[in-house]
Amino acid sequence: MINETIPPEPLLKVTDLHKHFGVQRGPMGGHKSAVRALDGVSFELAAGETLGLVGESGCGKSTLVRTLLRLGSPTAGSARLEGQDIYSASGPTLKHLRRRMQVVFQDPYQAFNPRFTVAQSISEAWQIHPEVLPPSQRPDRVTELLTQVGLRPEHANRFPHEFSGGQRQRIGIARALALEPALIVCDEPVSALDVSVQAQVVNLLTKLQRERGLAFLFVAHDLAVVRHISRRVAVMYLGKIVEIGPVAEIFSAAAHPYTQALLSAVPVANPVGRENRSRIVLRGDPPSPVSPPSGCRFRTRCWMAQEICSVEEPELKHRTGNGLLTACHFAAAQANHVKAHKKDLDA
Amino acid sequence: MRVTTEPDQPVLSIQDLRVSFHSSSGRIHALNGVSFDLKHNEVLALLGESGSGKSVTAAAVMGLIDQPPGSIDSGRILLNGRDLLRIAPGERRQLCGEEVALIFQDALAALNPVFPVGWQIAEVFRVHGRLSRSDAQREAVRLLSAVGIPAAEQRAKEFPHQFSGGMRQRVMIAMAMALKPRIVIADEPTTALDVTVQAQIIETLKALRVETAASFILITHDLGVVAEMADRVVVMYGGRVVEVADVYTLFSDPQHPYTRGLLAAQPRLDSEGSELVPIPGSPPSPAALPSGCAFRPRCPLAQEVCAASVPPLARTANTSLSACHFPGTPT
Repeated sequence: MINETIPPEPLLKVTDLHKHFGVQRGPMGGHKSAVRALDGVSFELAAGETLGLVGESGCGKSTLVRTLLRLGSPTAGSARLEGQDIYSASGPTLKHLRRRMQVVFQDPYQAFNPRFTVAQSISEAWQIHPEVLPPSQRPDRVTELLTQVGLRPEHANRFPHEFSGGQRQRIGIARALALEPALIVCDEPVSALDVSVQAQVVNLLTKLQRERGLAFLFVAHDLAVVRHISRRVAVMYLGKIVEIGPVAEIFSAAAHPYTQALLSAVPVANPVGRENRSRIVLRGDPPSPVSPPSGCRFRTRCWMAQEICSVEEPELKHRTGNGLLTACHFAAAQANHVKAHKKDLDA
Repeated sequence: MRVTTEPDQPVLSIQDLRVSFHSSSGRIHALNGVSFDLKHNEVLALLGESGSGKSVTAAAVMGLIDQPPGSIDSGRILLNGRDLLRIAPGERRQLCGEEVALIFQDALAALNPVFPVGWQIAEVFRVHGRLSRSDAQREAVRLLSAVGIPAAEQRAKEFPHQFSGGMRQRVMIAMAMALKPRIVIADEPTTALDVTVQAQIIETLKALRVETAASFILITHDLGVVAEMADRVVVMYGGRVVEVADVYTLFSDPQHPYTRGLLAAQPRLDSEGSELVPIPGSPPSPAALPSGCAFRPRCPLAQEVCAASVPPLARTANTSLSACHFPGTPT
């Protein structure tokens, strides 16, 4: 039902995931309401695939990451990794699941224990999951992992503060690889890095994926990086996926007005023609997730909004005759508009 | 008191500026001879990665370098022909406050949390003795609405924490524009913002530039922001200027190998993902700069001469300025 092009047994299958945080209002704590950080998120991720996840701050990206890693439990919904339900698992099953999904954090400065050497940081996981590797092979494996991520074997005995941001991110990737995961969740892995170093880490991730068949859930706000690394892209707005599909179609034929606005907002790294570039500038900020607008959540900032948008919430489904799933009543009209515009440009 | 300058005279001229800081691990050379001019009504981008010295340059112009631990070792900063480094502190404050304004990256840290934003903008007029209390408040409201804050009269009474990140940045811009400065220094003004909000702020800054005829120094690491806004670009690396070019030339015909590397390393939104070409290694620490050209250890063109001498900033065939012994050589 989600996307026919994906093989029947996806690596990760997320179904109608909800995560609400309670907010107390009023001096006596009465009148409880909830921040609906995730409000029905469904998607699939195939083995060896990269799904880019984009959206503005507050859209629920980080909550999704935390909930998937089971750093918090969902309010409703389910997620299955390799056929195992993440939230009902316990004991050895849960331990195995945790091993199969690893994470690379945004801030390489806070992700390491400053008193651990690199070797200790990487090996720590094997103490918890000793079945992965017998102790005698661990030092050699550390060397091997460091080489794979482009560091030198002698780096194993150094401490995190001796490394630059890019090098630390490489150590973070080596640590994530230590447990031979099937899925690595990358939460803004390159946004803290300088441009010249960012490209090194992006290339490293691509190489590792090719060699090991890893799947990535790649969360980022930089759309150019997402376009570069992803096979499919999901766009989130206020706790929901508003559009999802193959990367080429998201970037050339987006049918959701929010995706279009997001793409048109990115500054283009080429000054030629900037005077004539038209840009969709959205008014205002995203509304509060405590009381999202009725119907379509994007309608308060949308230039296409009609009456139906405030009454009926648009479903995420195929609307434009290509691989995209779009949650907009006027997706087809938008797609035609984009097509016509492209023709004008070609002519 | 305002001094008028000829349009072709630089509004601000920085000459051979050297700044260092004392630290427990030795002397950190943050700026090693930085020179550039800011022309009338232009947007000049200072482009560089962390540690390149772009923010220290701004701090030096604004007189925000604490001495010690900082020390301005040499150089001149000429504003209207007067050297800011050699005038009395009181005079400098008066001059800088009226003629030069600064927009910080982190608006939440730059605003006072315990006063309403309107009061904070009006404070500018009170300090500079321009307007009465009520006129100052009225002017603050006008400025807020000029930078695109809806219901400005109401919002002027609210506190910084009640504003979103983009709105706070607008407050910062309103405050910077209050005294109609001739120079606005914007230090990473959109870095902490979401792209849609970044687009709003860029549009606001562009509009202000047309309306006010001010000159802007835009400090950023983002090639996209540079391409959208800048007229000329100063590329910094290791506390030195490595390339100066007008924005079109910089993107079409970069001369310095670092600039070339930066453009090749940038993932593009307008093209499919072929393999990125990263620059090997990482930016040097200002505490341990390599001898000669600071880019040498990462440079594909490096030869012996690069370790021996610092290449001077010299005119290239395409009229850019480049600090490289082999400018324009394909890498």
